[in-house]
Order: sequence, then C-alpha cells, then structure tokens
Amino acid sequence: MSIAKFLLRRFLQGIFVIWGVITIMFGLRAVSPGDPASLMAGEGATAEIIEQVRVQEGLDQPLYLQYIEYLQGMMVGDFGFSWQARREVSAIVIGRIPATVELAVAATVVAIAIAIPLGVISGTRRNQPADYSATMFSLLGISTPNFWLGLMLILVFAVWFGIPYPSVGTSSLPLSGVSVPYPSSVGLGMVDLPTGRRDVSFGVAVSALVFEQSLSEMGTWLRHITLPAITLGTYFTALITRLTRSGMIDELGKPYVTSVEAKGLPSVLIRYKHVLRNTLIPIITVLGLQIGTLMGGAVITETVFNWPGLGLRLIDALHDRDWPVMQGIVIFIAIAFIIINIIVDALYASLDPQVSDE
Amino acid sequence: MTEDILRINDLSTRFFTKEGQVNAVERVDLNIKRGEVFGIVGESGSGKSVTALSLVDLVESPGEVTNGSVEYRNEELAEALRDEYPDAVDGSFVDLRAVPETVRRSLRGASFSMIFQDPESSFNPTLTVGEQIAEAAEVQRRARANPRSTRAKTRGVEYSFSSYLASAVLPSRKFVTNSSRERAVELLEMVGIPDPVKRADEYPHQYSGGMLQRAMIAQALAGEPDVLIADEPTTALDVTIQAQVLDILADLQEETGMTIILITHNLGVVARMCDRVGVMYAGEIVEQGRLEDVFENHVHPYTEGLLGSIPNLDDVGGRLQPIGGNVPSLIDVEMGDGCYFADRCPRAMQECLEKPPDFDGPGGEEHVAKCYLADHPYDETQALSEEYFESAGARVTDRGDSAGASPGEVSEDD
Amino acid sequence: MISDRVKSNLKDTFVDSLLPKVGLVLLIAILVMALFAPLLATHDPTRTGHFHETGAPYPPMGYSYETQVAQDGEFGEVSVESNSTHVLGTNNIGQDVYSRFLYGARVSVIVGLSSTLLAMLIGVPIGLVAGYYGGRVDDGLMRVADTMLAFPALVLALALIGVFGESPVHVPDPIVMAGFADGMPETIPIPGTVTIVGALVIWVWFARVARGEALSLRNEEYVKAAQSFGTGNAQILRQHILPNSLTPIIVLATIQVAVIILLEASLAYLGFSGTTLSWGYEIERGQDVLRTRPWVSIVPGIGIMLAVISVNLLGDWLRDALDPNIDQSKRGA
Ligand code: SF4
Repeated sequence: MSIAKFLLRRFLQGIFVIWGVITIMFGLRAVSPGDPASLMAGEGATAEIIEQVRVQEGLDQPLYLQYIEYLQGMMVGDFGFSWQARREVSAIVIGRIPATVELAVAATVVAIAIAIPLGVISGTRRNQPADYSATMFSLLGISTPNFWLGLMLILVFAVWFGIPYPSVGTSSLPLSGVSVPYPSSVGLGMVDLPTGRRDVSFGVAVSALVFEQSLSEMGTWLRHITLPAITLGTYFTALITRLTRSGMIDELGKPYVTSVEAKGLPSVLIRYKHVLRNTLIPIITVLGLQIGTLMGGAVITETVFNWPGLGLRLIDALHDRDWPVMQGIVIFIAIAFIIINIIVDALYASLDPQVSDE
Repeated sequence: MTEDILRINDLSTRFFTKEGQVNAVERVDLNIKRGEVFGIVGESGSGKSVTALSLVDLVESPGEVTNGSVEYRNEELAEALRDEYPDAVDGSFVDLRAVPETVRRSLRGASFSMIFQDPESSFNPTLTVGEQIAEAAEVQRRARANPRSTRAKTRGVEYSFSSYLASAVLPSRKFVTNSSRERAVELLEMVGIPDPVKRADEYPHQYSGGMLQRAMIAQALAGEPDVLIADEPTTALDVTIQAQVLDILADLQEETGMTIILITHNLGVVARMCDRVGVMYAGEIVEQGRLEDVFENHVHPYTEGLLGSIPNLDDVGGRLQPIGGNVPSLIDVEMGDGCYFADRCPRAMQECLEKPPDFDGPGGEEHVAKCYLADHPYDETQALSEEYFESAGARVTDRGDSAGASPGEVSEDD
Repeated sequence: MISDRVKSNLKDTFVDSLLPKVGLVLLIAILVMALFAPLLATHDPTRTGHFHETGAPYPPMGYSYETQVAQDGEFGEVSVESNSTHVLGTNNIGQDVYSRFLYGARVSVIVGLSSTLLAMLIGVPIGLVAGYYGGRVDDGLMRVADTMLAFPALVLALALIGVFGESPVHVPDPIVMAGFADGMPETIPIPGTVTIVGALVIWVWFARVARGEALSLRNEEYVKAAQSFGTGNAQILRQHILPNSLTPIIVLATIQVAVIILLEASLAYLGFSGTTLSWGYEIERGQDVLRTRPWVSIVPGIGIMLAVISVNLLGDWLRDALDPNIDQSKRGA
C-alpha cells in the first residue's frame, strides 16, 4: 500500500469518525432528560422563547427529520444559534479559536523544547543524577493536576515573588474585533491576583514588532502567555521526557547501534540521526493521541487564567446551560482533534518507511 | 609468512552482572598476520563474539575489557601518536588499549570494520541502505581528506551537534555528500547487487536476507579497512546464499588483500575460508595454528570433539559436533582452577586440575595448545576418578542454562 | 493467569527498586485515610464556622497571618493565630481543612475505583467479544471506539454532564452507622454522575486492550482445541480468553484509576461534580483567597498529587514486571 493510499484511507476514516461525533452529540440532545427545546433555549428562558425555539429549530418535527437537518447544518459549518448569546455559534467559536491555538502551540513548543533534550540526557546517562532528576520531574509532572499547578505558579511567581501581572478585569479579542466580556468567573479579581488577561494577541504582537519595531507588545504577550503555557505544557513535558527516555534506552540496545558505531560514525550522528530519530517516530503517534489531553488541559488552564479561549467559553456555556454553544465547541474540538491525528499519521507515514508496506 | 598486523596479548573481557562476574574472554593471545583469514571457532557462549567486539572496543556495559593489549601495526598512526603517547607506541605497533577512546573510535570503519551475524537487525530500519553505506564511505572520505593532519588520524571525523542542527536547514551541511552516495552505489555493485542505483534508495526491509548481508559487506568495505571482522557472517542465511556470501568475501579478500578475522561455529566455513584457526572454549583460545595443523594434527580433546565427524578438510559443510555436557557458564566464582574443559574431557588427568599452559603442538611452529596432551601422551593411571565427573557433571548441567544467557554473546541457535 | 514467572518478576522488580515501594507506602497511606476518615478526622468536615475570634479562618499549626478587622468603626490589623484542634487550619467558610483532606481521599478513592471497575465491566466484555469473533462485530466496535476517542476525555465528560446534570449519591458511612465515630456525617456524597461519566469516557481503552488480547489468544492451540471439542463460545471466552488477557487489563486499570482521580478533581474544580466534599472543589474554593490563605488550596492539591503519584508508581511497576503490550499511548487521551 502506498503512502497516498494509506492517507486516503485515514482521511475516509476521519470523515466517518466526524460523522460519528456529530451523531453522538445529536443523540445526547435527544436522550437528555429534559425538554430539548428548553435545553436549546438555555437557562432562564421564558415559555414563550422556548416555544419559539421549538418551532425555529424544528424540534417539533420527527426525530429523523431533525437529524437530517442537523447533519445538513453541520456540513455547511452551521453549528446552530445560541439563544442566550443571541449569536451564531460558529461566530462564537471562531472568535475564540486564536487564543486557544496560541496557548496550545506555546505549551507544545515549551514541552518539546524541554522534554526531548531532557529525555535524551536521561536516556543516555542512565542511573546518573541527571537521569534521576529527570525521572522525578516527569513523575511529578504527569501526576500534578494542572489547575493546581497553575494556582501554585501564580502563588509562587506573582504573590510571593511579586512579579507584576496585569490585574483582572474584562478583556477583548483584538484580532476578531468582537468584544467579549468575561465575568471574573474564578473570582481572582477580589484580591487583585494576576490572571492571563489577554491584552495582546500573538498576531498583534508580531505586527507591532514588524511594522512599528516595537518590542513592548511582544513583551506583554510573553508575560501573559508564560504561566498558562507552563501550566498546560508541564504534563506534556513530563510525558515526552518519559517516552523519550524509555525510547532511547530501548533503541540504544538494538543491534544496529553497534553496527553504526562499528563504522565509525561521529557520535552526534549516532545519537541524533539514528537513535533519537527512531525513538521519536513512535512517540509522534502517542503525541497525536495525547493532543486530546492537551485540549482537555486547555479547558482547565483557560479557566484558571481566565484565558479567553474555547475552553473558557465551554465552561461558561455549561454554567449558563447554553447547549448550542456547548455542543458547537465540543464538536469543533473533536473535529480539530481528528484532523490533527490525520496530520500526525501522515507525518508518521512519511518518517517510517515500513508503514507504507505493511 | 608475512608480518603481523595485530598482536593480541592477554586480552580479558568481563561482564559484571547480577549473577556475578562473567569471564567472557580469558587471557587470549593471538597474532594475526596481514592478509590472512584467521578463523575463531567455538560453540555458542564460548566468548568468540565478545572477543571480536573487544578488538574494536564495542563491548557494551556491563561488559568491559579489563586486561591485555591489542597492538595494531600502522606506521602512520604510530608516527602520529609517538610523541603524545610514547608508552602506547612500539615500533610501528600501537597498543590500542593504551590510547584514548577517541583514537580507537577514529580507527573504526577506516582500519577495522565489522560484519554482523544478523543483517536485518544490523541496519537501521528507517534509513535507506544506500544512505547507511554512504555514511560509512563518508567517514572514510573525510578521514582521508586531510592526510597530513594528525587530528584526522587520531580524533576521527569532526561533526558537532551544531553542524547537525545546521544540516536540518542547509543541505550543504549534511554529513553525507553526493560523492559518498555514488561510492555507495559502486560498493553495492561490487558485492553483486543487481540494479544498485535503485536498490540504494530502498530500505532494509525491502531487501532479502542474503542481499542485506551483501549490503553489509559493502558497508564494511566502504572504509577500505585493514582488518575486517566478520562475526558469524553467514549464520542467518540459508545454505545456497551462505556459499555466495562466502565467495564474495573470498574474492574481495583476494582483490584488496585485507585481513579477515572470521568468527564462526561452522567448521565448513572455517575449512573453506581460513588460513589459520583458533579454537575457543570458555573464553580461552585452547588451540591455534594453521588450518591443517588444527584440523589434522590437533591435540586438544575439545578440538577433537568439535571435529569428530569431519574426517578431512574436503568434507565441508559440517557443523560442530555436540560434545557431552555443556559450555560452562563462565561465571568467575564457578570456574575451577584447572583446565576448563576437564569436566567434559574424556582424557582428563590428575594434573589437569592445575591450569595447563600453552604447549607447542606437533604441527607447524605456530601450532599451540592449552593441554597437557601436547606435552606428553595420555597416562591412564593418572585419570581422574569417576566421582570427579559425577560431581562436575552435575555442576555443569546446572549451569547449562545460564551459559546461553551470558551477556554480549550472540545466540547461535540454528 | 498469573504464572510463577510473573510472580517472581513482580517480586524482583519490587525488591530491586525504590519507586514501587514508595508507591505502595503512599497507596496504603491514602487507602487508610480513605477507609478510616471518620475515625481519623478531628471535626465534621461539613461543619462550617470554625473561625478565629476575628472571624477569619485559622491558619495551619505554627503559622499566623495578619487580617483586617473592623474595630469600633475603624480598620485594624489583627494577627490570626493557629488553633491546635485545626492542624491544617480552616477554609474560608470555617471548615476543618485536615478533616476535609481525609474525606477528600475517600471520595477520590471511591470514585477512582468504582468508575474504573464500571469501565472494566463495560469495556472488557465488549472488547473480548469483538476480538474473539472478529469480522463485522469487530469493525463495528473499532469504529465506535474511534469515535469515542475523538473526544478529549475531559471535553466528553463535560458534554455528558451538560446533558445529564450532576447528581451526588449519598452513601451511608458504615463506620458512623455502627457508632464508632460520633459527630461525623452519616452519609458521604459521592459524585454519581462523575463516576458514570468517567466510566463512559475510559471504557474504550479497556475494550481496545481486551480486543487485542482476544485477537491474539483466539489463535492459540488450547482455544482451537476447545473449539474442536465443541465447547461453547461463551465458555471459551470465560474459561480461556478472559483469564489469559487479565494481565494487561490489570495494568491498564491501575493507570486508569489515576486518570479518573484527575478527572474527578478537574470536574470538581470546574464545579461540575455535584459535591463539595472533594479535593478538586476545595482547590477551587481556596483560589479566591490564594494570596492570604494559600493552605486552603495547597493541602488538597498535595492530596491529589500523592494519590496520582502512588497509582502511577504502582502502574509503572506492574507494567515493568508484567511487560504486557501496553504503552504510554494507552494512558487515556
Ligand atoms: S588439559 Fe587435561 S582436561 Fe584439559 S583438555 Fe587437556 S587433557 Fe583434557
């Protein structure tokens, strides 16, 4: 089977799974204990509005017709309408994407930049102090709940060390041009604790750097994203360190390493071009699956730091019982996860020559 | 005959395992001559593969070469190292154990190269065969690029982490150059791989076992080594392919005049390829000499046992004869003081409880055996009592299991 | 089944290394805390109002802090001293932090174990059947599994809770009922929805591992032999396939307990567990007063961390010793 065929199959599978995801969400609405119309209308809606929702959303029609309509809507990217926010769900979702992507990418970059060297050191210097420290670190990292870690970081850096942070308030998304108010849902405002209020997005910071040669926006952005990125990235750093370490140890024990050494290759090449590369290939697929954990972690991290991304909006929607927004975000996250996994598989297939032949 | 290229004295390699210290190689003395094919033959677990790895300093933890010297004749190297390491240099010989690891590393590929038993696991599965051979060629090319530099001779090829990082973005900084890639194709052609241009771009799993072993030979030859160490080069292959691979090795040896150390448990291979042979048992070379001497004038009962079914040199294809009892475990504390073979030896005598020294054998002048029988004939009155064998026999069978598990030993179950 | 080789392996790896021992000690400590919480607790964990005379919560033993108090119409700084009956101080509504820490262990352990058990009960039979029969049944299962795995665990859990609401189950406390611990709550609220949702989120992993085992075991000689004797499929599954696939399932279960503990804590932190007697909820409660009374958040966080570390250490030990084909990728996404 060629790589193209492999990917085509993966792609079709992906479509199938997306259909499954949408169906499950539809099914959840159908089996929910209450009246679907009041679920859609959200908490505190009047009977009048509920009736209006029932008619407009076609909830008075037979289930199969509702399902067909639901699928049709999804296919054209129509995630429905939030009766509470009085806006299209897709607009709400789109407005929140950049913040979450920034956070997730920053966390991943931090994780990879720290974890791979750490894993290599740990794996090549087994049972030495460096290895023990890395092992301890990764054990703690995968065992610490990230919301607690976030709070502890705030406590240590902002409260005890007094590193200044912007105070909490309402914020807006500069890039989307839509102003979204956030209630200070976690209440940090009372004590003037730092939160990751997003005054500046990465895009704004970069354009300030390029067009105005101004570093200050970049500094603001960095200051905002550092603690959330560490909070979200720690589990990953720990996990990748672990995987890299055990992968390196396995790989270094393989006979080809002796053979590569016997031909006199410089040790840098043995270690990186041969061993690390082969170690990372299987790790890539694990990471693909773990993107799900990252997304779950983002929900929490955004809540801790009041970071205006999809996760925070999801939690707000849950608190408000705003079903359309909640389901829109859940479906969006699932689809993003599926697509990332297809990309990861493509990467894997291109790196491991044996995939395409099996 | 010709001059020695390697003089191995008193070489010992130990593995420090949980079960105890394993003496995988025990005070081995060997002289290898330039241009010859020297065979090291022995059963599984006799320490022959570890001996090979010890020569090129590739013994892995928990193993360690603990004693002895490996002197290698190389005028240029001796010249380059004479000032810095006067103790290590003796005439045109350099004691590889007395120079830093970087020097030994720099000799890999260029002076010594290896062929391993299992070609499938000895290639990196995720790089093309051509690329891997080109790497070996590149090591050699870079070492030769600056023949006057002592550094290049004794430090090996320089390639730092930053060059590696740079190579990710700058193709010109890649380690393997195009000329090495071309050389890889030539080498593949040389070992008889059809359509080498295309095959160079294939991955190891796309090769058959025999083809891959040829590719490994090509890789080993890329550095134009002085000494080629072939560790069970044909064991993993089926019989017809074995013959082809041996032919290639023989032809190449004739063409290039390189020295080959051939490690095998297959006496047919030895008979076919070797000029001289060393027989290994329990980490020791128990008998060595010219092929005819060892095959026809052997004195050591172990050699005799090995050769049991082979009446003469023409009968190739023979395997090692099973000999009663098992290879001892090589665990230090369990090794007796006497001849290690005593508990399996049909002619063990009282004096054999004392370690036999090397005696000159009846064959040519290089014929040596670690056995009292080389000195004087068997004396029945001195035979060891039955009880000795019973207790020893029980001991040996007990240890039988751990013998196969002795670390670093390539398993040879075929 | 657990062979002698596996047993000796377990023993060797345990004796040889420090980490499994640490894990076991931690685990025992947490189980003791969970089991005997009513006996070990110094106060009813739900009783509020344990405040310093200034009306401020007590700090942990040996600490004190300044607080602003209105006196005679004026604000003044008053030092709040610790109280020896509240070892770890009290929280913002005056509950004893130490007692809540113990009860938090209880809730975590109960949810972690019951949710994992439930997931096993759902996932293992489905996986075994799919792997054993193969074909359409298997294809169907794998597609369902793919779909379930397309949801990040926490997001799926949130969606399920969004639909079904959060309802605590009040479980009577046998120790209190038997009269051994007066003054402790007679029932403890277990987050019921979270338990079920947790199982619904992780069962797929059990199904996948069980399927893989069944898939390879069905080609074993003894299974073939049983089939040729006309043994029913149900019996083969029960007698041959299930016992022989237990090892990796047990390792997976260990790891998943940690996943569930973290999931429960996260949901409680976000306010969706339906109970307030939980480490996660307690951390959220302390967040408001992080600057002045950090212990309210710090203490339960350490609880979660130790519980998860102990389970992870044991999981690592089992995995290393049993060496089934389970890897990090099955940690649950
Ligand atoms: S020294 Fe003695 S025991 Fe050893 S091989 Fe010779 S005769 Fe046998």
